[in-house]
Amino acid sequence: MTVARTSELRPPGSAALVRLVAAREISTRIRDKTFLFSSAAILLLVLGAMVFQILVASGASKVTVGVVGDRAALQPALQAQGKAYGVDVTVVGVADEAAARAAVSAGNVDGVLLDGTGPAPRLLVERSASGPLSSAVQNTVSQLALGRQLSAAGITHLDVPHVGVTALDPQADQAGERTAIAIVGIVVLYTLLILMGQFVAQGVVEEKSTRVVELLLATMRPWQLLAGKIVGLGLLGLAQIVAISVVGVAGAIGFDLVSLPGQLIGTVLSVVAWFVLGYAFYASVFAAGASLVSRQEDLAGVITPLTILLVVGFFIAIQAANDPAGTLAVVTSYIPGLSPLVMPVRMAAGDVAWWQALLAVVLQLVAIAFVVRLGGRVYAGALLRTGGRTKLREALRAERI
Amino acid sequence: MLEFDGLHKSFGGNHVLDGVGFAVAPGTMFGFCGSNGAGKTTTMRIAMGLLRADAGTVRWQGRPLDQESRRRIGYMPEERGLYPKMKVGEQVTYFARLHGMGAAAAARAAEEWTTRLGLGERRGDAVEKLSLGNQQRVQLAAALVSRPEVLILDEPFSGLDPVGVDALAEALLEQVHQGVPVVFSSHQLDLVERLCHSVGILARGHMVATGTVEELRQREDGRLLRIVVPDAPHGWAVGLPGVRVVSEQAGDTLVELATGTDDQEVLAAALRTGRVTHFAWRQPTLVELFREVVAARPQEVAA
Repeated sequence: MTVARTSELRPPGSAALVRLVAAREISTRIRDKTFLFSSAAILLLVLGAMVFQILVASGASKVTVGVVGDRAALQPALQAQGKAYGVDVTVVGVADEAAARAAVSAGNVDGVLLDGTGPAPRLLVERSASGPLSSAVQNTVSQLALGRQLSAAGITHLDVPHVGVTALDPQADQAGERTAIAIVGIVVLYTLLILMGQFVAQGVVEEKSTRVVELLLATMRPWQLLAGKIVGLGLLGLAQIVAISVVGVAGAIGFDLVSLPGQLIGTVLSVVAWFVLGYAFYASVFAAGASLVSRQEDLAGVITPLTILLVVGFFIAIQAANDPAGTLAVVTSYIPGLSPLVMPVRMAAGDVAWWQALLAVVLQLVAIAFVVRLGGRVYAGALLRTGGRTKLREALRAERI
Repeated sequence: MLEFDGLHKSFGGNHVLDGVGFAVAPGTMFGFCGSNGAGKTTTMRIAMGLLRADAGTVRWQGRPLDQESRRRIGYMPEERGLYPKMKVGEQVTYFARLHGMGAAAAARAAEEWTTRLGLGERRGDAVEKLSLGNQQRVQLAAALVSRPEVLILDEPFSGLDPVGVDALAEALLEQVHQGVPVVFSSHQLDLVERLCHSVGILARGHMVATGTVEELRQREDGRLLRIVVPDAPHGWAVGLPGVRVVSEQAGDTLVELATGTDDQEVLAAALRTGRVTHFAWRQPTLVELFREVVAARPQEVAA
């Protein structure tokens, strides 16, 4: 009889147990309302930021200029000048001054250049010409007139020394854009770290407060339970941040909100990678903290200090966006726990050497190894102590099962 | 054979278990009795690897229990534990899988056990929506679903109504008939007496008595005498040589005779008080045995 009974059971290895626990975490959370609402909220936040960008961007940088006369000569010059002032110039041909007035009044064009190649060029606008518009038009007219006068004087080949540009910080412009992306990324990363940390903590306390942990530990070791929980929720968090990133990147590129898609993807990837590091750290710390209490009501007492650490990191990261080379940003970008929030911003701003990023990663990895070990001990020591709140020292001293 | 051998355990300076040992044969039920705080739960937790014994081992089929062999034990902790928001069917399946069953086999076994324990209709409900009695059944299903070789159940009957008690008793007896050794702790001694082949009584970390209910009875047998003398004055038996009055209630008297005391002399003394309506050796109930052995301890310690 006993032989028949055993044959059905195949002892699951550690990997199988961790997988089982992780699968349960995922399938439970994926049906959980808190999780669904918060995921939707984060996605809406990112979409909202993009819509805002589209609205802001569409107002400023597009200009339509009507031209009466020699459009072939004016169009390339106008567009080249427009580019120098950061506006996209669209050139349309207009028949005569009457048509030009009508077009300006109707708002079809921002302005019309009359007699652009003649002796008395005029710019017709509704009320006033914007700086880039009038400058671009002025330069176009000057350039063309100068060319004409020079060739009239017989000078066709002009030897103008070309100015060689040596940029001390060639990426400063792009850095601004990447920093903005990094800030959006940090908001998402921070929100997900808090959310997933809470899930881990609540899950640990739920198992303790319902005493189901005793039944679980009769079949597995504490570390297997802990690992399954952290891996399961981590995969869920990773799926979330990847989904948000894909939507964000696709939207940004699709709506042409960024000038350099390659750098956008680079920054997003670094945020995702730092999420993994930050999550591994905070999940272990939250789990160990939560294992010290036996009731959901007592949970706030242990995880609030940990949450404050995250909040501090978040504010430093926002500050670092303005001053990525400041002492505060530089120092905190190496401190484990803060680095996942601060370093992506500094990296986006572009003044981080590869070895500096590597150093921050290594320090964070060392810290993760440390908290996983120590947190695992606390967790194992405190898990079966179900009376009130266990002191950290007691948990560390407790016998390990 | 499931053997608990010389278990010692102390928490701080508090010696909770002091050489606890007993054995349970396959296909028998062992009732584990003892007052609150006697160490029953500690003993079972040590068997399940939830606590580490300071000394001593628990063996199954001659080998000390380890993580692997514990997977083949069905366990019901004293503090019931289930995920409140998880559905009954999924929960039982999950525990089957943790014990090493494949996905399909686990789902099948969960369906079978929930049906057998009368939870078929509730399989899709969250555990927290169930009555306490039904939650207890889910707990039992979680212990039985992996077809364990051994059952260790801490207070499985507590909190059940009489119908629930009968259903659980039936389920356990069925396991016993299939050759599973079952250990359960209980305060309901009448139940232990009815169900168990053998009994162990634990008091302050010591096994004060182990054996079959019959053996325990014989230990006390021939010592307790019940005499009903309706007309006797209160305290009629006090002072008779070799006689200790255990209880006396309106002439219904229970006395314990010292070895060598002649029961006929006690009868004669009873007759002197008037009518004797009952005079017989008394088979002690488990409750009385329990009181006897548990109460005896402090005197031994004091002596």
